[in-house]
Amino acid sequence: MAAGMPHLSMARANAGRPSAGSAGGESAPTDWMGYLFVGLFALPFFLFNILPVLFGAYVAFTKWSIIGKPKWIGLANFEAAFADHWVAVAFHNVLLYGAIVVPGVTVLGLSFALFVNQRYPLAALARTLFFAPNVVSATVIGLVWVWLLDTQYGLVNHYVGLLGLGPVPWLTSTDWSLIGVSLASIWWDLGLVFVLFLAALQDIPRDITEAAMVDGADRVRRFWFVILPHLRPVISMVVTLQLISTLRIFSQVYVMTNGGPAGSSSSPIYYIYNTAIVRSLFGYASAIGMMLFAVILVVTLLQRFAIRERA
Amino acid sequence: MTAQTTMLDRGKAWLEERRLTAVDIPLWFIGMGIAILWALPFVWMVSTSFKYPEDVMTVDIEWLPHRVTVANYLKVFEYPVVRWGINSLIQASVSTALCVLAGAMAGYALARMRFPGRGLIFGIFLASLMIPTEVSVIPMLLGIIKIGWASTYQALILPTVGNVFSVYIFRQFFLTFPAELEEAARMDGAGHFRLFWLIALPLARAPTIAASVIIFTLNWNNFLWPLLVTFDESMKTLPVGIAAFTPVVGTHTQLEGYSVAMAGVTVLSLPSLLLFAVLQRYFIQGISQGSLKQ
Repeated sequence: MAAGMPHLSMARANAGRPSAGSAGGESAPTDWMGYLFVGLFALPFFLFNILPVLFGAYVAFTKWSIIGKPKWIGLANFEAAFADHWVAVAFHNVLLYGAIVVPGVTVLGLSFALFVNQRYPLAALARTLFFAPNVVSATVIGLVWVWLLDTQYGLVNHYVGLLGLGPVPWLTSTDWSLIGVSLASIWWDLGLVFVLFLAALQDIPRDITEAAMVDGADRVRRFWFVILPHLRPVISMVVTLQLISTLRIFSQVYVMTNGGPAGSSSSPIYYIYNTAIVRSLFGYASAIGMMLFAVILVVTLLQRFAIRERA
Repeated sequence: MTAQTTMLDRGKAWLEERRLTAVDIPLWFIGMGIAILWALPFVWMVSTSFKYPEDVMTVDIEWLPHRVTVANYLKVFEYPVVRWGINSLIQASVSTALCVLAGAMAGYALARMRFPGRGLIFGIFLASLMIPTEVSVIPMLLGIIKIGWASTYQALILPTVGNVFSVYIFRQFFLTFPAELEEAARMDGAGHFRLFWLIALPLARAPTIAASVIIFTLNWNNFLWPLLVTFDESMKTLPVGIAAFTPVVGTHTQLEGYSVAMAGVTVLSLPSLLLFAVLQRYFIQGISQGSLKQ
């Protein structure tokens, strides 16, 4: 799935609950077996989720290519990154991606969820169709949309042409490539957001909306004064999740445009990939990775504080 | 006349029964229209995949091809697609099995067993979700190359096992597990291992299926890591191999490119779409449970 399940990060509420669900009383003995049970998961988790980050923090301060030994160069990678025009382009692009994809996915996802939640006939079919793009891989999304957005023979430009507008060079011009990739991303990412909204809508107690109905509130008012306040925490969560997932945009860029033309659809992860794999600058790539990590951390923490303030 | 009125009355009664009003009718048509529109890229993908290459790059839009061929699919299989598919299957199923089993054990322990540091361990698991995998992927690749694991199954599989989603969904389930069952088993002298294996896990059908389908799909679709770690054509996974089907001038002829590419992505998307169609309930429940039920 597009977002790779980052939405779990919002579920930390349970983290510190001391004795939730334990079977025995206060005097129950320590289950030493517990460490063994956790260990089976904790071992790969530590080796492949935690260690690479620590290792990366070290690599970021070195000059290192595949061959040869690392050379400690202090902050030089970070200094270079701040002066690198293409790093600036990549981070600038990712803000534009965020500005298009996040509102697009949030507004459409909420609208689609409201529709499906009406329990109209065939609502289950609509639910399936809205979610389906979320289960296929970036390769499918990328190739299908490259074809749909083909300037000369693409389906999208065919219908744009029927509206009397000229062919749009969706993926081949510096002005449009980022928008073209964003369209594909919205189609891909929407399913997850849609399901989260749908679950939240179904959690609203029926009697609340029915009471509003009895009071004579029309559709718009019910949405504005009853449903929307209930959804506020979910909207905040969805916006953050989608923002983080968009900051990590890579696969569709790689498949659709290779970051081009002229870097116009590049993204931080795409640039990191290019720096490490094509130019073999592992230290420099790790440093840019750490910078992106810092940005994502700030976004996550800001959202946490926003939620805590309100609570 | 009377027939018409009764029809109208019946229609009204039908709407009222469902608490619908006249406004709902156009809303329904618009909503369903958008839902169908949303699926059209898939229709176009399949339609293109059955066309003759010369019928693809034309200004006429043929939703239903006037003549049909399977030549594109045969062409797809001229590439090592079967090998890539086997790689994908091995990678996704072994990784998912390990992740679900390890996650179930850890989730069980974190919910039902008492030991010092339990809360801290779960806290670390959740906090780690703030680390985007894309950021640690380059140092991980460097490490994997250094220990000589590049282009191997263990390099494809092991780094994807530590998915916290699995632990989380099982912990949530086992928190609501009836304590009586546990106590009865304890009376019979069963230790935690037998308790988990013979009682807890068999009862955890729903979270097992949900975790399995979601994690399998994630693994099947995984792109960045397999792209980085497979230098060998024969070790590529299906998404990485088929990504090279983009008809950039120079790799395929522009003319036949899209029909073969669409056949390739149809093959690639079929397993996940089928899995989703059959087990939709688990996908949707699993995802919403993973995030909302706090």
